[in-house]
Amino acid sequence: MNIFIRELKANLKSLLIWSGVMLLLILVGTAKFSAYYNNPSMLAILDTFPKAMIDAMSLKTFNLTTVIGFFGLMFLYFGLMGGIAAAMWGSDIISKEERDRTVEFSLVLPVSRSRVITAKALAALVNCVLFVLVTWGGSLVAVQSYKPDQAFYDYLTLEMEAMFVLELLFLAIGLMLGCVMKQYKRSGSTAVAIILTAYFLSVMSGMQEKLDFLKYFTPFKYFDAGELLRSGKMDAVYLFISAAIIVVSVVAAYWVYNKRDLYI
Amino acid sequence: MSIIEVTNLTKYYGKSRGIVDVSFKEEEGEIFGFIGPNGAGKSTTIRLLLSLIHPTSGSARVFGKDVTTHGPEIRRDIGYLPSEVFYYEGMKVIDLLKYSASFYGKDCTERLHELSEYMELELNRRISDLSYGNKKKVGIVQGLLHSPKLLLLDEPTAGLDPLMQRKFFDLIRKENTRGVTVFFSSHILGEVQRLCTRVGIIREGRIVEISDIRTLQQDNYKKVNVTAAGLDQATFALPGVTNVQVEDGTLHFFFKGDINAVLKKLSSLKLSDVTIEEPTLEEIFMHYYE
Repeated sequence: MNIFIRELKANLKSLLIWSGVMLLLILVGTAKFSAYYNNPSMLAILDTFPKAMIDAMSLKTFNLTTVIGFFGLMFLYFGLMGGIAAAMWGSDIISKEERDRTVEFSLVLPVSRSRVITAKALAALVNCVLFVLVTWGGSLVAVQSYKPDQAFYDYLTLEMEAMFVLELLFLAIGLMLGCVMKQYKRSGSTAVAIILTAYFLSVMSGMQEKLDFLKYFTPFKYFDAGELLRSGKMDAVYLFISAAIIVVSVVAAYWVYNKRDLYI
Repeated sequence: MSIIEVTNLTKYYGKSRGIVDVSFKEEEGEIFGFIGPNGAGKSTTIRLLLSLIHPTSGSARVFGKDVTTHGPEIRRDIGYLPSEVFYYEGMKVIDLLKYSASFYGKDCTERLHELSEYMELELNRRISDLSYGNKKKVGIVQGLLHSPKLLLLDEPTAGLDPLMQRKFFDLIRKENTRGVTVFFSSHILGEVQRLCTRVGIIREGRIVEISDIRTLQQDNYKKVNVTAAGLDQATFALPGVTNVQVEDGTLHFFFKGDINAVLKKLSSLKLSDVTIEEPTLEEIFMHYYE
């Protein structure tokens, strides 16, 4: 419990910064949206965009003149930011002890390494939950002036669930990197590199039919905003793959961290 | 039961050597000195005892329990002071100490304040604002506040001014009289000599000698200084005489063997001064490293 609370305090600043950026993004996004809202001439402009660009940004799925359509586009940023934040929290919460050399204090205390991982992972998880809630709350407040219907609220709920699953996924991967990587200084940047790679894979798989198979390798395709809108739920297969990745990452994290030498 | 029992302990970091085939025992209530130059493997040994790293082969037992399987349980009764202390920079000293105390399942408040007062530690400062020496003081208080049964000290005096060093040694002695076992690693022989009852000498990862500090000093060598007219290198050409040096009419040498032979020779000279003393550990130590 003491480790958990200390980590919450230590990570509060990071959570506040990420939340601030997210709220700013929503604010700027909805401000720009006011130009599209109920404005058919905007659609005509969009039609003049090159097809590849439309595909890359998955613009064709959404009617950007509606609140739902606009939040379909926004999900990209929710997912990306949620993923990056979660991966950084996950890897940093473990690797910072070695980076700052505090490991010679924290793991000389009478605690097992498993207990340390559990407490830290829970603290990072709380951050992830709060980050989703901030995004959710911010979105709800931002759209009030457009008086959206129930369908929007349902869709937003689904998006937030998907964002949370993405966070869990990247939190687990980040945690594993923090626990496993010898070069602890690089675990954070590796985590971000993985996310950006996954993101570009998802963009590419959307652009080219031939590259469609890539969708299994990128969590961003697991929860595609357009697909979520069409089906109204998260795909069971992808949920299963996500759960499998999470379990494997977490098991690897505990297993390796318990066995390996700490780098001092 | 030995407090520390290390058997054929070996640690390689990949291909580079940590320690090789190290064996020793430390009994309850002892102050064991662990001497060696930088890079000899002192810290490696201590980190193995704390299960921060795991052995390549061999085993180590503390309080009769294996360190790799009973780490957390063992560490409950260990106080550790590393040569360089690192704490969470953003925390206040008092919060850090309370945080540390919260892991031991007992009330350490009184002892915390007692120790801080003794070490003249300012509790309300932030860790990041502390000088090296002050961080070290935090380390001392943190290492002792849960009344550990075994103290692992890894070059503990680095960064402490002479006054604090003396206070620290007094503290360690006081702990020792209460029955606390002390494992003291250092490359400064003077301090080991002042404090320890038994020493192990480690060199390039291997133990070269373990002995009682008195035997190390008494049985081995005497240091003889003679001042007289007409002395030269050949005056004491006896078996057992080594390291002969002439300096301003004074002859210094080490002697090992029957002291009567030296006394006989001395009595035949017209001396203006003579001292026969135990060599410092430093001097014996240099002998091991030559």
